[in-house]
Amino acid sequence: MTSSHRAALGENQMLKLYADMLLIRRVEERLGRLFADGEVPGFIHLSIGQEAVPVGVMSALTADDTIASTHRGHGHAIAKGMPLDGFFAELLGCEQGLCRGRGGSMHVADLSIGMLGANGIVGAGLSIALGSALAHQRLRRNAIAVAFFGDGALGEGLLHECLNLASLWRLPLLFVCENNGWSEFSPSAGQITFRLADLVPAYGIPYVASDGNDVVAVSTKAADIVAHVRREGPAVLECFTTRMRGHYEGDAQKYRDPAELEALAARDPIRIAKEYLRRLDVGEERLQDLLTDIDCRIEAAVAAARAGSAPDFETAKADTYTPVDLH
Amino acid sequence: MPELRYIRAINQALADALEADPSVILLGEDVSAAGGAFGATRGLRDRFGAERVIDTPISEAALAGAAVGAALSGLKPVLEIMFMDFTTLVMDALVNQAAKARFMFGGQRSVPLVVRTPHGGGLSAGPQHSQCLEAWFAHVPGLKVVCPADPASAYGLLRAAIADPDPVIVVENKALYATKAEVPEVLEPVPIGHAAVIRPGRDLTLVSYGGAVHTCMAAAGILANEGIEAEVVDLRSLQPWDEATVMNSLSRTHRLIVVHEAVEAFGIGAEIAARMADIGFDELDAPILRVGAPFMPVPFSKALERKYLPSADAVVQAARKVLA
Amino acid sequence: MPKLGLTMTEGLLASWRVKPGDQVRAGDVLFVVETEKIATDVEAPSDGKIVSLEVAEGSIVPVGTTVATWIENVMPLDRAASSRGSFSNATRVIATPLARRLARQANIDLKAIRGSGPRGRIKARDVEIAAAQQAVLRAEADASSPAASAAPLSRQQRRPASLSETTVARRMTEAKRNIPHFYVIADADVTRLLKLREELNAAKGEIRLSLTHFVVAAVVKALKRFPDINRVWDANEIVTLDAIDIGLAVMTERGLVAPVLRNADRLGLDGIACACEELVTRARRGRLTEEDLAGGAISVSNVGMFGAAQLIPIINPGQAAILGVAAVRPVFRPDDRGQPSLRQELSLALSCDHRVLDGVSATRFLNAVAEILAQPLTLLRR
Repeated sequence: MTSSHRAALGENQMLKLYADMLLIRRVEERLGRLFADGEVPGFIHLSIGQEAVPVGVMSALTADDTIASTHRGHGHAIAKGMPLDGFFAELLGCEQGLCRGRGGSMHVADLSIGMLGANGIVGAGLSIALGSALAHQRLRRNAIAVAFFGDGALGEGLLHECLNLASLWRLPLLFVCENNGWSEFSPSAGQITFRLADLVPAYGIPYVASDGNDVVAVSTKAADIVAHVRREGPAVLECFTTRMRGHYEGDAQKYRDPAELEALAARDPIRIAKEYLRRLDVGEERLQDLLTDIDCRIEAAVAAARAGSAPDFETAKADTYTPVDLH
Repeated sequence: MPELRYIRAINQALADALEADPSVILLGEDVSAAGGAFGATRGLRDRFGAERVIDTPISEAALAGAAVGAALSGLKPVLEIMFMDFTTLVMDALVNQAAKARFMFGGQRSVPLVVRTPHGGGLSAGPQHSQCLEAWFAHVPGLKVVCPADPASAYGLLRAAIADPDPVIVVENKALYATKAEVPEVLEPVPIGHAAVIRPGRDLTLVSYGGAVHTCMAAAGILANEGIEAEVVDLRSLQPWDEATVMNSLSRTHRLIVVHEAVEAFGIGAEIAARMADIGFDELDAPILRVGAPFMPVPFSKALERKYLPSADAVVQAARKVLA
Repeated sequence: MPKLGLTMTEGLLASWRVKPGDQVRAGDVLFVVETEKIATDVEAPSDGKIVSLEVAEGSIVPVGTTVATWIENVMPLDRAASSRGSFSNATRVIATPLARRLARQANIDLKAIRGSGPRGRIKARDVEIAAAQQAVLRAEADASSPAASAAPLSRQQRRPASLSETTVARRMTEAKRNIPHFYVIADADVTRLLKLREELNAAKGEIRLSLTHFVVAAVVKALKRFPDINRVWDANEIVTLDAIDIGLAVMTERGLVAPVLRNADRLGLDGIACACEELVTRARRGRLTEEDLAGGAISVSNVGMFGAAQLIPIINPGQAAILGVAAVRPVFRPDDRGQPSLRQELSLALSCDHRVLDGVSATRFLNAVAEILAQPLTLLRR
């Protein structure tokens, strides 16, 4: 983090970043309660503590750019602009969900905004983003693709294939590693022997690291690197961030040191962003209004989702593939 | 009618598809400069450019995933996997991504990608270059699978697969690549899901696909000398498969044998037999038999592979059994 | 009301074998249906309980009419409690699904079919053959007496015909079907013959002469007089026989046979008697040969000893005539002066093959036989 970042953003920009992060935070906190109450079926992976990465990166993207996300993908979806009604309805398994209740948390997708889907398979989004970037390139769009992945995916061979291919074809592809230090229930340090910073140069691709909890840092670096990707070809942005909750909701995190969890509060990206706003003399009242507004939007979406209908089985089944005319 | 080689029919289908639709691209190892390991893409780079006929490194997993991403972003990628055995490396992209996207995303978009891949033995290619794994793909909801037996359907099914909105696995039999057959003056797409009765007969039905269709035709010829008229049905599509045509044939012959080169256990034949035992139960005048490869890896030695591959004699023996 | 045949449109519910409340097992007879052709037991298709009877005994109802309501058991009725042996002994029918469907449609009991497939599996072809056979049986049932076939099947005793019975049945059927029979009947006055026979038989140490021996001798003598009678039809040819061979119908334990007396014209009355007795003895001991049964144009069948008023027999295949001889009976006949005179007479019926004989020649021949019998002394001369 440097002072130039702070100077680079004005009040409105900062408020926008803060609001987007707060929206993700409040949405996920609400989801956590809905999950605890048994209203959200299945399991959900919350990205609380990592909001600065999607918000910072997405602040550098246009509507035509595409992203491929991970199993911890709520933040990416919301930051890319996924409507709250469709989001909550999906997580509650309703027909009104963006995916008509067939995907749920791990598969939220909105192709109309270039959100190519969260993904249940670690690292799978890498190659999907690669293909999307290939399409942008071959169809001569000015768009780029972004592949979000966690440090857990550093152990996947697919990462190597994708880095090589992106470099080989000079694809407009940004690799964004959200390094939260955890591979599910294990510290990545015990699994990964290399640093991404050391690996990437081998492919001839630019590498940039960022404090992933400082939205100003992320957005500033993203703006630079996205411009590079759009112009020159692939790059890697590694954001060091914090997973403040368990691997999934309900994970007691017995494997984590309580001192580590306690220390996370100091690095809370919302708190850091709030600090910027205070320096810009944005009043507490304004922030409170923002929060109220966000919570109102969320409650409206939750209410709509709760009023949603159960999906029709036959309709769902018929979507397995495009029906074939058999005589 | 002109004659065409199977491999040339595929080449022509790719050329016509590239010509007809600018969003079609070809991807694969050695498909561009080299023209494909079996020559399926020969000459296409010169005609359509390296931007659309793309050589790739040996990165099957990433390429298949990229095909999904490209298909979700406006392209119609046609990926060549050099041997079907290598599809083990693309399973996540096909099974978890391509097959699921349409359904999982609530029908927002289909994934119009094609994977072309050759299966089959007979070339002493050994255990990792000869397998027939089509049943794996036919088992996955969301994928379509076709397997042409002759040049006209090789052209027609590939055109239909590329035009199809969903992921389609086009399984080619590499032993057929060099074979020639008459084709119509004007080649047309062959609709997915439609079988063809390629030899009519009243005594029993042989259902098959791919290279095994020719085994069935040879067997039908032997049986005809004994006064037994076998009807031969070329399925052409495996997922979805043409239940109605098979049922129709069974209703006339009352005896059914399913023949394929793939391992018999847990295969396409098992599915067809089970389904016909269900909907065709009252038509059956004999047990449904399968003729397929034994439950073992494809061997290398010619002496071993000859015994491994289902033969016309095996089909004839099965026919005698259902007629007993 | 089940459809029990292709042409059946209605059926007579002849009798109920169950009543409401009865528990029935698969295979139990529920009721008996009579059609114009046959009476059939209708069995329970599976275990169940009879709820009500909807049609009274003696009613004729169209096919498809509900005759009773019942509740079908999903689980076989007290199967566990019943003797397991009886179930495990029941032979399971092995048949292909198509064979089962065809049998169902044609109303054919698979248990009655022998399968030609592997391990005796019944195939569609087996059912088709059985259906064709059933159609033939129906056609034959049509031809037979409705009264006889309408008799309850349960009252009849059945046994398979023996080989000899089957042979007789076949030969007689063939003869009756293939030979255009006509019949001439005459009475013979045997008053004097009986007296003569009595006198001859009174002599000890000589062979006993029977009426049959006299009739055979009379036929032999008449044939000598009318050699054109001694001929047969053989594959569009009329064969006149040189030798005078006479068949003799003999009842044995194994059935009816007709051995042939050879060259009877060379034998005197005693010789005929001896030869006849020798044939009868061999016939009854089952010692006849194929040769004994072949040849001759005419046979004699005498049932007079059993008291028949008249016997009109069927010609033995290969021959052209047979003389049926009935019982002697006393009758009053006018004598020369018109006064009643007690005479002993018997009825002779000559069955003839119209392909080789005609009414005039047959009548002349029969009259000759009767005359000879009336003047038996002529038989004592060669």
